[in-house]
Amino acid sequence: MPEQLSVDRRPTEEEKRRLIASTRRFDLRRILGALFLLYGVLTTIVGLVHGAADLTKTGGIAINLWAGIAMIVLGVLFLIWDRLSPVPEEDIVKILTQEDANEAADDAEGSR
Amino acid sequence: MLTGTVVEATGNGIRLDLSWVDYLMIIVYFAVVIGIGFIARTRVKSSMDFFLSGRSLPAWITGLAFISANLGATEILGMAANGAQIGMSTLHYYLIGAVPAMVFLGLVMMPFYYASRVRSVPEFMLRRFGKAPHIVNALAFAVSNVLIAGINLFAMAIVIEAMLGWPQWLAIVVSAAFVLAYITLGGLSSAIYNEVMQFFVIVAGLVPLTIVGLNRVHGWSGLTAALERTQSGKLLHAWAGTSIGDVTNPIGADWLAIVLGLGFVLSFGYWTTNFTEVQRAFSAKNMSAARRTPLIGALPKLFIPIITVIPGLIGAAVIGKALSGAGHSGLTYNSVIPKLMQMYLPSGVLGVAVTGLLASFMAGMAANVSSFNTVFTYDIWQRYIKRDRSDAHYLRVGRWVTVAGVLVGILTAFIAAGAQNIMTYLQTLFSFFNAPLFGVFIIGLLWKRMTTTAALWSYIAGILAPAAVFTAYQISVANKAPIFATATAETLYGAMISVGTVAIVAVVLSLVTKAKSDRELQGLVYGVGKIDLKGDAVVGDTAWYRSPALLGSVALVLCVVLYLPFL
Repeated sequence: MPEQLSVDRRPTEEEKRRLIASTRRFDLRRILGALFLLYGVLTTIVGLVHGAADLTKTGGIAINLWAGIAMIVLGVLFLIWDRLSPVPEEDIVKILTQEDANEAADDAEGSR
Repeated sequence: MLTGTVVEATGNGIRLDLSWVDYLMIIVYFAVVIGIGFIARTRVKSSMDFFLSGRSLPAWITGLAFISANLGATEILGMAANGAQIGMSTLHYYLIGAVPAMVFLGLVMMPFYYASRVRSVPEFMLRRFGKAPHIVNALAFAVSNVLIAGINLFAMAIVIEAMLGWPQWLAIVVSAAFVLAYITLGGLSSAIYNEVMQFFVIVAGLVPLTIVGLNRVHGWSGLTAALERTQSGKLLHAWAGTSIGDVTNPIGADWLAIVLGLGFVLSFGYWTTNFTEVQRAFSAKNMSAARRTPLIGALPKLFIPIITVIPGLIGAAVIGKALSGAGHSGLTYNSVIPKLMQMYLPSGVLGVAVTGLLASFMAGMAANVSSFNTVFTYDIWQRYIKRDRSDAHYLRVGRWVTVAGVLVGILTAFIAAGAQNIMTYLQTLFSFFNAPLFGVFIIGLLWKRMTTTAALWSYIAGILAPAAVFTAYQISVANKAPIFATATAETLYGAMISVGTVAIVAVVLSLVTKAKSDRELQGLVYGVGKIDLKGDAVVGDTAWYRSPALLGSVALVLCVVLYLPFL
């Protein structure tokens, strides 16, 4: 049981800082934000360049334009969400200590 | 060449005319997926990181992954096909056949799962009952999952061949290689991140399809008018024709069978015990997030029919005859989404939709593979083959098991290509695994008297009973005197018979065998010991909108409300 074991090795400040930075750098919301910004811009451009041709297929809706704008908005919302509420430091640091606890628990199980 | 040709759109088949922009979107997506695999790899330090993302993920991610693991492309294409074929009755699969079970998982079962710190569903079987039922459960899950991965791989290859013109073997090998790469690198984290991305991309692809489709049939009123005209409007109701003794609905079952068979037995069996989904909740960062995982997943589930069933209805209205295979159209109901994409989506949004479909095919397979490697490594290898090795050993085994699982999947896919009937029967067989497992778990959770022997034999009897019903049904169909109206009705009754069998066998055997002591059952049975629901809570978990009871109630209310327009 991990929770019963005391964790001997506490993570150093340096380790914590690095983990926090890397966790936040690759937050899924940033990846999603970037992906949808790119998709949105591409789709909007296609909609602007080929607007007339699209209309025959869609029956009059400039779907690339609308979908492109919607995806840009979605992408921006993801980026704003990421900016406004980054993953809390406690959560990230908790993972570090939990990892140690898991290793300790595993060692304990192994020696049993 | 940037625009799809209109001539092609009216032709037969579902070949899509992709421009370089569409291909660019596909390439970018899969580059990101592999990139995530490499990033995730730097964070995989222990087997827990690999198999359960180190139990570190926030609830919105695990919740969306929970629903995406189920939202594979076979599911999307299949549900749209149902929409075209049986219309609004398809809503049962999204509403009564999903939401109550997901709420039950979050509110009632997750506390037992998460608090016992088990790493897989079979491991809960081990903790509650012991080795014998655990071995059966773990083997059944591992074997069925790796084979299902292969069957899905084959289903994907057929669609990719039809849409993009790739030969089947190429589609199989390329997609398996992608799944292999990102799961071996980053484990469950890679799988989950990809599932969440895939969720948003497939929605971004299907929403424009639904909007354009509705526009082309002159809106909702135009659609209903067209369906009244061509199909006498029977596709527009979910509950009509389900009264007992007077069954005229396309599922061929009365309301009691739908509520008990689909809404209770099948759906609770699938959503509360299928480790492929439940694993996503196990990877949540704490008890609160784990409980919210299926509840957050239930909210999008409620609305997904808008972008699957409605396109199916549009297909029924516009090309209903062709979809039923009339006039050598080369189409089946399963081709309704790709066909509508070909007809209605111009380059640009078409790229998004194709990316979404490809991603959800792979996410579906990755979900199977990532739960298979966990069960194989923890429940079979660590428990019965090589005990007491270092964590690094199990992490290594997990990676190799992933490779082996994908290879077996590829092999299965090629066998499926040659022997589709066998595969259909296998899939039916696997569908018998969940309902009895739920029966065993729910009795075991509520009744501390239930014993190991009872669990083992009631579980096995619960698998054999529906298999017997299925065989009887097949024979009766061959004799042209079917004992159930449709194959779907057969599964509903089969599942109910399965759980009934479990209950009888479990009670009888429990009464004549020795029960476990209360001490061994702490936190594993309702009322024995106490489960701490708030011990690991973090700041913010107490916000009113994060209350599991509230989320669950909202989901249940919506589940009823969404039926109202289509009674």
